[in-house]
Amino acid sequence: MKGAHGRIRWVVFCGFLVFLACAWALDLKPGGLIPPDAEHWSRTGEFFKAALNPAFDYQDENVPDDADSIWLKGFKGLLLTLKFAFGAMSIAIPAALVMGFLGSSAWWPEPCGRGTQTVLSAVYFVSRFVMSFVRSIHELIWALLFLSAMGVSPLAGMVALALPFSGTLGKVFSELIDEEAREAGLALKAVGHRPLQTFLVGIFPGALPNLITYSFYRFECALRSSAVLGFVGIETIGLYIELSHEEFYYREVWTYLYLLLGLIVVVDLWGAAIRKRLHSSAEAWKV
Amino acid sequence: MPAAFQLENVTLRFGSLAAVDNVSLSIEPGEQVAFIGPSGSGKTTLIRLLNTMRRQDEGSLSVFGENVSEFSDRRLRELRSLVATIPQHLGLVPNLTSLQNVILGKGGSRGTLRSIRDLIFPAHDDQLAVHEILDRVGIEEKLFERISNLSGGQQQRVAIARALFQEPKALLADEPVSSVDPARARDTVKLLTELSKERGFTLGVSLHHLELAREFFPRLVGMRNGKVVFDGAPESLSEEDLEALYELSDEEMMEDA
Repeated sequence: MKGAHGRIRWVVFCGFLVFLACAWALDLKPGGLIPPDAEHWSRTGEFFKAALNPAFDYQDENVPDDADSIWLKGFKGLLLTLKFAFGAMSIAIPAALVMGFLGSSAWWPEPCGRGTQTVLSAVYFVSRFVMSFVRSIHELIWALLFLSAMGVSPLAGMVALALPFSGTLGKVFSELIDEEAREAGLALKAVGHRPLQTFLVGIFPGALPNLITYSFYRFECALRSSAVLGFVGIETIGLYIELSHEEFYYREVWTYLYLLLGLIVVVDLWGAAIRKRLHSSAEAWKV
Repeated sequence: MPAAFQLENVTLRFGSLAAVDNVSLSIEPGEQVAFIGPSGSGKTTLIRLLNTMRRQDEGSLSVFGENVSEFSDRRLRELRSLVATIPQHLGLVPNLTSLQNVILGKGGSRGTLRSIRDLIFPAHDDQLAVHEILDRVGIEEKLFERISNLSGGQQQRVAIARALFQEPKALLADEPVSSVDPARARDTVKLLTELSKERGFTLGVSLHHLELAREFFPRLVGMRNGKVVFDGAPESLSEEDLEALYELSDEEMMEDA
């Protein structure tokens, strides 16, 4: 025990040293968080005051009378945000399932002959590489690349989101597949199941609750990322936040932020309800 | 009649370690054999050789008269559908029901599409057959219960039921009682030997509990460091044999210290 405590202290100390080194390298100063002059102070104050007083009507006086109300506009923005997130996830999940399957080894035949193992290992590493590649580039960077290639099109935004999300989902899927149901996979192989059969009827159903739970969490992330795509010009609620922010209409910004928060909370509750059903109800898989 | 399992000078190495070392052994059809010995003696590896999940490095292995050393993957699968295995951790799919798990026992002879159908729309006859088997192992009321809602003992019975549904010619169980209390362990071993007599399948069980092995099995195979050091009836297991099986050598005592 003493040894373990000693190690923890040593790790914490080293972590602190690394933090100090990074802070020094980046020239971080605690004062960086404090507004430098009176103008910035007053803008910061305004921004946080607006949090308590979100806009119920446009702050911009030039908005035509027949325009949608701010709430309707906000809801439409949320709907667009949802559409992008849904669209991206419906591309990302099937892609991730395929890559997750190819990037896992629990279904490989046993014993695995040398030739088969070489082929399967190659497939395994290629799919792992593809997953690493697509997720190592952030969705915002993918979006900038696609927008410059395809112009501001909804498909560009959707693909930009779907690419890194399929990489992250695929990586976690492959790990869940390898960890969750390896024992069941072995047991089925031992009674003569084929590799794909082992995967479809043993390993996949075994890992499914966790795959669904994780997909929900990623859907939440996709919603936030979809909102962020607004900052590069794609029409989601993020675009409205960005436009209002540019004009210093902070109360409008907060209205949109609260709407986004509401949506995230609803999705979170929905996900929690499904998780509960999957993990505790004996009825879920009843035939 | 050919032997159920015939090993001749079989060796399987993991790196430089011989997990099974030059083992020759013959198990007749319908025989009940307990593999005994300390942890790491090679019992689990021997079971994985017998159920063809591992290929030996040297020697030959025949199962029901067929030399499996050169079998293709397809023929191995066909053979495996005749040899049921209950792994140490049971290998059940936790979020499927008992019925679904038991039906998967026949997947080896039924193929992929049929297995998917079995999982979603199990045939009426299969449901009846599974119910009957669950009744025999004492948990018929758990037919539609999810595995994750069952106790350890009940899960073990589902794993036995899955093996029985397979209608095997041989059943291999790897430490089937390692995670249950002594009373339940005795019941499980008793059930396995009874079923083997009832249905006529060959039974091979690796056991940590020497007393249970002695009480229920007419033949014990004792292993130590991958070698068979005892093979005979429980009555002929002498103090010297036990010492050879379980007593720590000077080297092992040094390692433990």
